[in-house]
Amino acid sequence: MAASVREKQAAALKRMLNFNAPPLKNTAAEPVWKVLIYDRFGQDIISPLLAVKELRDMGITLHLLLHSDRDPIPDVPAIYFVMPTEENIDRICQDLRNQLYESYYLNFISAISRSKLEDIASAALSANAVTQVTKVFDQYLNFITLEDDMFILCNQNKELISYHAINKPDIMDTEMEAIMDTIVDSLFCFFVTLGAVPIIRCPRGNAAEMVAVKLDKKLRENLRDARNSLFTGDNMGAGQFSFQRPLFVLADRNLDLATPLHHTWTYQALIHDVLDFHLNRVSMDESVGSEASPSGARPKKKNKKSYDLTAADKFWQKHKGSPFPEVAESVQEELDTYRAQEDEVKRLKSIMGLEGEDEGAISSISMSDNTAKLTSAVSSLPELLEKKRLIDLHTNVATAVLDHIKSRKLDVYFEYEEKLMSKSTLDKSLLDIISDPDAGTPEDKMRLFLIFYITALQAPSETDLDQYKKALLETGCDLSSLNYIKQWKAFTKIAATPSNYGNSGVKPMGLFSRVMNSGSQFVMEGVKHLVLKQHNLPVTRILDNLMEMKSNPETDDYRYFDPKMLRGSESSTPRNKNPFQEAIVFVVGGGNYIEYQNLVDYTKAKPGKRVLYGCSELFNAGQFIKQLSSLGQK
Amino acid sequence: MNTRRCHGPRNSQEGVNLGPAQTQSPLIQLQDPQLTVPSLRPPAPLVDISNMSVKDRTNEFQSVCRSLQGRQNGVQSSKPALSAIRQHSDFNLLAKSIGKDLSNTFAKLEKLTILAKRKSLFDDNAVEIEELTYIVKQDINCLNKQIAQLQGLVRARQSQNGIHLQTHSSTIVVSLQSKLASMSNDFKSVLEVRSANLKEQKSRIDPFSQAPASSFHIHTSNFSNSLLMQDDSKKTAEVSIDFRASQQLQLINKQDSYIQSRADTMQNIETTIVELGSIFQQLAHMVKEQEETAEVREKWEDDRETEIIKLLVEMLCP
Repeated sequence: MAASVREKQAAALKRMLNFNAPPLKNTAAEPVWKVLIYDRFGQDIISPLLAVKELRDMGITLHLLLHSDRDPIPDVPAIYFVMPTEENIDRICQDLRNQLYESYYLNFISAISRSKLEDIASAALSANAVTQVTKVFDQYLNFITLEDDMFILCNQNKELISYHAINKPDIMDTEMEAIMDTIVDSLFCFFVTLGAVPIIRCPRGNAAEMVAVKLDKKLRENLRDARNSLFTGDNMGAGQFSFQRPLFVLADRNLDLATPLHHTWTYQALIHDVLDFHLNRVSMDESVGSEASPSGARPKKKNKKSYDLTAADKFWQKHKGSPFPEVAESVQEELDTYRAQEDEVKRLKSIMGLEGEDEGAISSISMSDNTAKLTSAVSSLPELLEKKRLIDLHTNVATAVLDHIKSRKLDVYFEYEEKLMSKSTLDKSLLDIISDPDAGTPEDKMRLFLIFYITALQAPSETDLDQYKKALLETGCDLSSLNYIKQWKAFTKIAATPSNYGNSGVKPMGLFSRVMNSGSQFVMEGVKHLVLKQHNLPVTRILDNLMEMKSNPETDDYRYFDPKMLRGSESSTPRNKNPFQEAIVFVVGGGNYIEYQNLVDYTKAKPGKRVLYGCSELFNAGQFIKQLSSLGQK
Repeated sequence: MNTRRCHGPRNSQEGVNLGPAQTQSPLIQLQDPQLTVPSLRPPAPLVDISNMSVKDRTNEFQSVCRSLQGRQNGVQSSKPALSAIRQHSDFNLLAKSIGKDLSNTFAKLEKLTILAKRKSLFDDNAVEIEELTYIVKQDINCLNKQIAQLQGLVRARQSQNGIHLQTHSSTIVVSLQSKLASMSNDFKSVLEVRSANLKEQKSRIDPFSQAPASSFHIHTSNFSNSLLMQDDSKKTAEVSIDFRASQQLQLINKQDSYIQSRADTMQNIETTIVELGSIFQQLAHMVKEQEETAEVREKWEDDRETEIIKLLVEMLCP
């Protein structure tokens, strides 16, 4: 199977760090030391993919931000990994003038323009440093890969291409052009790194269509340029992607506004929803000190702890898509296994200690047995340490999530929303939940109400609406997001079709008083053990239609672009009749982990198919509501 | 004449690349007949297919420089070419030489590994293995001393060096130390493999040291039962007994020396392992010192290696 996009991007980075030569596996090679200079864009790209240790292994002794005070290190080559912006170019020229390093390898995240290249050239000339600028490369890495099959466009300045920026009513053409160009530039880099030219499908009449048109044009131009094409087909043939080209589905956020507001039940999505989770890093407050605070005392000092959730963390990879109760059980199991192993090592250690004193014991056991035991205990030590660290990490994270679930009664919200979205019968009235002071923050209630509003077949009557509004205001909600949703519902016709969210809902497994026997840390008392049944969210459904070439009124009208075709055709009849094996779904306007998880589950059920998920920005429900509110206030 | 191209509104916002991306522009280059350097793509190496995903602009850059230089011919910069700061270079030279020695020793270790893995009784290059073991041990000791020397240099310069230079130097020292540690580890495991093989060989030979007696015994009994003269049987039996005895003695002698050499080797291995333990201890000590001097804490932290080395030491030298 072809390498995942994460592997490809990581490989590209490693190659760059090896002075743009393929990295050698030979550990006997002489070490070469270098310094890495990046800007914030570069940092965001590198940090989810390479740990500091890997950088060190590649000989990078120092990694520094471009716009920081840097001392000269005269004997060492410097590798730059920056965006070709005005500011960055100026700083590079300054570095050249100050003669900070021995040689300079300039790598630009996306292609540098000719005029900026000339700026660097003139600075190099005036500093007499032309020979020191050893290499200049366009890396085409302007996107961030978070998972094997998930990527986002950028993290810095993402408000410039956010849902809000794209959908604000007073947007100017030039602004829209600029946003589209940014998105297309990143997508182009993505396809260059992936090494494939896709077939593009998009809906009509929205931002997704604009992106598709521009991307098609850009890919086409590049393919036509014989001298400089980045997609020379022959090199890609050997096992990159399968014989078929991938499908690229562009979706617009406006087709589904309920999913970003949804309360969720899977581990990764929950972490993103309730904790501060950013570029695969969770940041939490850890309270220090005893639980009982003396009366009138100062507030407990809180430390901020952050954890990286990486590809190497096996527990995470296995359980990031699991429903939360399963995660809690598994952490407990891991802890038990670890304790057993720890006891074994301790036992071994005590035996060793004993033998050191007792002469008779030594002679009876030969030296090599000792060494073997010692070696195996010693070699299992790093593993054990690592395991302990991960177990602690997940215990802390899961506990924090559980606290949120319990205090906000998120299980109730989840269940109710699932029922709303699947049109099942509701056992409680919406008003009850909204007026319940124990259940959830005002934001939770707003989310619930918005989902209700979005998925309702008919708009609620005026009196009902007023009743709801009153209840919401009483609990302290901000209703401006509702204004926006009303407008949105008015212009999107999609909202009229109710069967968007699938027909199967949630099966509650009954209340649990305790998930595990005593000694467990995850007491899920009063929390429902809910089991998710697979149902397709709108984005997944659209992907399914297009990938399997199913006919469906929703997607039949989608446009079709093939950059490899000689003449761009306006028709939307696909020439390819076979189902696709690989697909990339990209949501313009933002996405979240719920959609991602839904796609992952969909793909699991179809062996042999691969789906990648991307979005212009990643937000959780809280961030999304803020954007909706500010849109509703205009 | 090279023209400057305008690329739309220049974006003055912080750090955002909103200008149209420039993917290729060899056209300008071609206008100047003197600079006929075609923009070559780097040759695609056999293994790495994805090499095509980057674009090499180096040649373009160099041609731009040349053309700009041509324009500026009258105005020469008075700035001198970069002169290396001499102070730093001896650190670098030492570090480079250590690196080279490390890779040499590693190559020797690889050779030793191959030899030690051989299990045959007859093709046993015992002498060669012994020599190589000795050499590698000496190398490791020597490298250990050199790295300690390097670290001393770093510490001496601490006051003068800027913080970046200091971090850079100490990172180099730590990386060399960890390479040495992992190599010592490999060396130790090679020695273990070797001693296990020796034991195995010994256990395979042991039965044969008793066997000759019994086999000769059988022989003689057969002999006595054979068609040969019954009268001579006693004599021949005596002779054969003597013969047998002397044979046995010879064998025993051979075995003795064999066993002796094996025992020596085992002893050498044991002492080497103990010495390695002390090297580990020294390394852990150095690493601890390193921790104390390093002031810059980066955003990503990972000092698991240090912990592991310390624990290894603990286990090896209780």
